[in-house]
Amino acid sequence: MRITSRTRTIAFFITLGAVLTAVAIFLNVSWIIYHSRSIVPLILGIVFFAAIIAGLVVYTIFIVREIKRNERQDSFLNAVTHELKTPIASIRLYLETLQTRPIDEAQRREFYRIMLEDSERLLGTVEQVLKAGEARHLTHKRNWQEINFGAVVTETLELARIRHHLAPEFLRFGTPPRDDLIVMGNSEELRTAVFNLLDNAVKYSAGNKDIVVDVRTPDIDTISLSVRDQGIGIPQPELKRIFNRFYRVQSPATGQVKGTGLGLFIVRAVARRYGGDAFAESGGEGRGSTFTLTLPRVYRA
Amino acid sequence: MSRILIVEDETHLAEGLRFNLEAEGHSVHISGRGEEALDLLLKDDSDFEALVLDVMLPGKDGFTVARELREAKNYIPLLMLTARGRPEDVLKGFESGADDYLPKPFNLAILLARLESLLRRKNWHQSSETAPATTRTAPNGNANPPAAPTAADTFTFDGKTFDFQALQLKVGKQSFQLTLMEAELLRYLIRSTGKPVSRKAILQDVWNLHEDTDTRAIDNFIVRLRRYIEKDPTKPRHLLTVRGLGYQFVLDPKK
Repeated sequence: MRITSRTRTIAFFITLGAVLTAVAIFLNVSWIIYHSRSIVPLILGIVFFAAIIAGLVVYTIFIVREIKRNERQDSFLNAVTHELKTPIASIRLYLETLQTRPIDEAQRREFYRIMLEDSERLLGTVEQVLKAGEARHLTHKRNWQEINFGAVVTETLELARIRHHLAPEFLRFGTPPRDDLIVMGNSEELRTAVFNLLDNAVKYSAGNKDIVVDVRTPDIDTISLSVRDQGIGIPQPELKRIFNRFYRVQSPATGQVKGTGLGLFIVRAVARRYGGDAFAESGGEGRGSTFTLTLPRVYRA
Repeated sequence: MSRILIVEDETHLAEGLRFNLEAEGHSVHISGRGEEALDLLLKDDSDFEALVLDVMLPGKDGFTVARELREAKNYIPLLMLTARGRPEDVLKGFESGADDYLPKPFNLAILLARLESLLRRKNWHQSSETAPATTRTAPNGNANPPAAPTAADTFTFDGKTFDFQALQLKVGKQSFQLTLMEAELLRYLIRSTGKPVSRKAILQDVWNLHEDTDTRAIDNFIVRLRRYIEKDPTKPRHLLTVRGLGYQFVLDPKK
């Protein structure tokens, strides 16, 4: 209901902008015809009208952008509400069950396992939201350390396997990292960026989990991490937008995956802060996707 | 023992609910998708007696599932669950056809109690099909106010019969099946016949909502009730709007 009213608001502002621009252009043309003989008012008029028209266009674009951003924030709030409340609801349900019913030992252990998983999920969401907040002021350069990037990737891959209960063959190295790949940065931030890429690859793989991780050095100053999955893929026009804050692709396939629209935003914020970049490639919907994170390589003096 | 369908894509919650409902002696089926749930419920041999429906589902969401169920004239008792607990979400749930609504995280005891209450009403409905209830007819054109209808009763006004048990409204030869909340609202309005009731009072007494809410959602229910009981819903004679206050049920509009 709210979405349609907002679409209508956007349509209204675009129409208003277009009408005003048309009026300004019409007046401009009239002015030109009217003053076609005298040079000074003609030039002055054209300059001022051009300014007015440009102002109108910029104004309209700005308004529409703001409305869209607002919308994204709304859907983010919904997603986060859901991501926070669902594990809490589950933990509470199991605790109340344990409290009120006689439960045998095996069942009890199963309930504990479920509750632990839920608390992990809760922690994951909370961390992600906090990290996105920090993304504006990531650690300062002077606090950076030399970090063995290969070790970070190997550890994070192990963590992702555990979190998603994956057998090693579903999430594996194609090109394992050498152990002399050093980057300057904060290990926690790097871990988060790498984990988000792996986590996404697993989440958006649907039933076809076959994820290959390559750590390469395309040139002597660069380290690249590629995460290739055979999952639901990404339509061409979305490849850049998915890195925006709160942005999530709207499609039936992504609807089945819960998320906040923050993961890739954090990945790119970290990468750019460290002088690298992050980008996505995909053959299109249903054809898997590859995410690449590049970082500048440093050498021990 | 009742057959209950749980539509919830979060497996932890679904399994936790299954455990508890089975412990209460019910038999439970879990579905993670709205489309599948609709198929299961709209089958001819569907034997489910209550539905626990999550809102945020992949594909068709809970609101859509509820709406399509009601459009297909399936009036299975429906308890809606959702993480979105704002009052406007609650009312949106009722509008889409839910009978009751619980925000997550819910209290287990309350969920079980609400579900039992829905099942009880369902059973009233079934018993009233086998044994017709006594009918009390309001005097037509008479000044006597009608006795407040009790739970096991029917109420007749202006050629229309409202069966509180079966949640059915007979208008001439037509018969409408009301959802639980439509029936509760109609019953409440009939109980306060002749007195205007505020939207806020309705929210508190019928929905049990105490928040300051966007009360316009009630208006949607009124529109629906008018469609059932008014000859011309745009010129209501029984269910009047009292400007600045709320609504009033008028038994005999001729006066």
